[in-house]
Order: sequence, then C-alpha cells, then structure tokens
Amino acid sequence: MKQQVPIIIGLVFGMFVIVSMFITGVPFLEQTKDVLNDWFLIAQAWAVAVGVVNLTQIHMRNVNMKRENYGFSIWLIICMYGMAIFGIFIAKSPNHEGWKLMYNDIIAPMNATVYATLVFYIGSAAYRAFRIRSAEAAVLLVSALIMMLGSVPLGTMIFGEWIADAATWILEVPNSAAMRGIQVGATLGAVATALRILLGIERGHLGGVGE
Amino acid sequence: MKIAEGQVFSLIALIIYCVAVVVMISRARKGMKLPELYKVPGLEALDEAIGRCTEMGRPLHFSPGIGGVDNAQTLAALSILGYVARECARYDTDIIVTNRITVVYPITEEIVKQAFMEEGKIDRFRPENVRFISEDQFAYASGVTGIMYREQPAANILVGAFWAESLIFAEVGAIAGALQIAGTANTHQIPFFVAACDYCLIGEELYAASAYLTREPILLGTIIVQDWGKMFAAACMVIGTILVTFNITWLGDILGK
Repeated sequence: MKQQVPIIIGLVFGMFVIVSMFITGVPFLEQTKDVLNDWFLIAQAWAVAVGVVNLTQIHMRNVNMKRENYGFSIWLIICMYGMAIFGIFIAKSPNHEGWKLMYNDIIAPMNATVYATLVFYIGSAAYRAFRIRSAEAAVLLVSALIMMLGSVPLGTMIFGEWIADAATWILEVPNSAAMRGIQVGATLGAVATALRILLGIERGHLGGVGE
Repeated sequence: MKIAEGQVFSLIALIIYCVAVVVMISRARKGMKLPELYKVPGLEALDEAIGRCTEMGRPLHFSPGIGGVDNAQTLAALSILGYVARECARYDTDIIVTNRITVVYPITEEIVKQAFMEEGKIDRFRPENVRFISEDQFAYASGVTGIMYREQPAANILVGAFWAESLIFAEVGAIAGALQIAGTANTHQIPFFVAACDYCLIGEELYAASAYLTREPILLGTIIVQDWGKMFAAACMVIGTILVTFNITWLGDILGK
C-alpha cells in the first residue's frame, strides 16, 4: 500500500501531463496541467523547510558535540537564519539595498569564485589524463592541443589558419557525431525510465530497486 | 481537440515505443528468454567500490546530481542509490549522501533508511549521513568539496544530472584518493568524468543501471526495446543523410510533422 498509492498517483498525473503535451484545444487538459505545475512548485517550496531542518540538525549537533571546526557550523546557522529573517521581516523585497548588498556583493562573488576554481581543476584533470600512456590519451592530448591552439589568436599566428579550421572540424564533425549518438541513446533511455516509473515497474525512487 | 503542431510523428513514435515496451514486459513475465546485456564496467565496479570502503574503514560518498525529481537522470540515480545503500548496509559501511535539491533529499533519506531496514541493520542507519547541502549550485559544490576533504571517502559515486560542478567533484575525489564511478547523460559533462574518474557510465548506461543491477527480466525487457529504438534512430539517420544528399526530403518531412 505504501508503494502502490504513489505509483497510482504518478501514473494518473504523469499520463495527464504527457497527453496535455500532445493534445491542444482542450481547456480542461490545459487548466489541469497548469494546476499540476502549480502544485509541483508549492511542494518544492515546502520541501525547502525540510532542507533547513536537516541543516540545522546536523550543524547544531556539530556545535553541541564541539566537533572539529564547529565554528563554521555556528557561522552557517547565523548566516542561514540571519538572511532568512532579514529577507522576510526587514527587506521584504529583492530591491532592498541591504538585500542587494548580501546577494550581489557577497553571494554572487562567492559563487563566481567557486566557479573560477574550475580552471585549476581542468588543469589537474588534463595533467592526469595526459599522463596515462595509452592510444586514447594520445588522441585526447592531440585533439585538446589543436582545440586550444585553434581557439586563440596566438595559435593561428604561429601555425596559420589551418589550425583554426582543424579545431572547428574536430568540434563539428567527430565531436558532434559522438555527442548526438550519446544523446539518441540517452533520450530513449530517459523515455524507457519514465515509462518504467509510470507503470510502477521501477521503484528505486520509492526505496527499493525495481521489485 | 487536435494534435499539437510538429508533434504528430513524436506521438506516433511514443505510442509504438510504449506498446513495444508493454509487449516485452508481458513476454518477460511469461518467462521468454532475453538476450544477455553487455558488461558495463562502471556498474560492475560498484561492488569493488563498496568493498574498498569496507576494507579501508572509510565512508562512501554518493551524489545523485543536481537535477530535480522531474529529471529522469535523478530517478535513475536513485535506483543506483538503492542498490549501493543496501550493499553498504550489508557490509556495515558508512554511506554519505549529499543533496542539492530539497525535494530529492527526503527521498534519498528514505531510500537509505529502507536499505538498512531491509538488511536488518536499522540501528546502523545514521540520518546525519544523508545531508542537504544547499539549493545553490556552487554552495553545494563547496559543501561536497569540504566533506570530501574532511571525511576522506574511499569511494565517490557521482550519478545523475551534473553541470559545471562535475569536474570539481571528480577532481576533489581524486585528490582524496577515492575510487570514482561517475555517470551522466549530460553530454557536455561526460568528457570531464571520462578524464577524471576511474569508471564512467555514458548516457543510456545510466538508465540501464536498475535492470543491470537487479537482472529483473521485466526491466531487461525494456532495455531491449531501448536498443530497437536506437537501431531505428540510426537507420533514420543513415537513410535520411543519403536521401538529403540526393535532394529527397520526404523522410525529413515525415519526421518533422
């Protein structure tokens, strides 16, 4: 029963959404689809509360047990609740100067910083991949070199126009072909997965592997 | 009432596909012999990863990606989580699950709890090991990075929908010395996983995981239809390319209807 109810709900509403994607001109279908989308958004918003409770539990436990670096847990709790309380009771609008300061001048640069660290990770991943002595690694190295040199003016200046053409060819021919092949397989796999879930054959998301 | 413009062929293809899946499922239920699946090293390595964690006495880290429950990749990842959590419970290995999406978090917690319950080891289930980190993509990436450095997992399993954070996770896992198994259908992230991880599930392999791990005939039946679909798509591409080369467009017209 615990698993059957979610399966039935999933099947009924899932079929509704699928049918409404293909059939037009039926107001009932379109209205119901909009209502279902709203329900999904509301459920998603409420789920944030579950996440906040989990974070609070984990970090309060760190503080109570005085685990290593528990100061960061205190800092997290202060920031999380501080920003929520400030946003709800003081700022009340995303255009509030204090809110903009928190978001545009603190959160956005921090996000950008983490994103920027990717360049170093790309460097270290490339180093490890190229260090492997295999035919695949050699192909990867050669194509990466052509791509990098073909994408910057310095490469064209040193080697001539052919390197830019070679880079474009790698990107548009073998790379696109492989990507499309993977996409075709992945799309069919996604449809099959969706169907298995709608029919209740695959129940991994309900806590059990496909019995 | 009418069929949406440009969706006629998609609808027919979907109906045929669904009918084929249902037929294969019913044939599998009747005990029809099904072809063997080819070996997927990434899925074969799951047991190796869990064994490594058990031997080293270190936890296993699992991320179901940063997609929501409306993403098929996340649902496929949850199936893999069910298997991994059950094996971890069987061998008394700690499993740390990090989540970005709040809707996914209670589902992963329930899956892990259920796995420990099924193995009769509910007392070994540690709710604090299933963690919600942040809804923000890079805050989540930072949180996972911190966990990898602090808790030094012996295995790092990254399956689901990943975007820019994929390489951060894979590299941090490599620095932590973890055996890494990754899988995604996001084509732009696959090269990162291939370069940085020990094993990689590419595209459809991720969706075939539950059938592969359980060897359930009904699930295997759907994989066969998937392969038929791929063959049909490949045939359309080859024939379409030849026809368009000779300026014949009827196939493209039918597919675009």
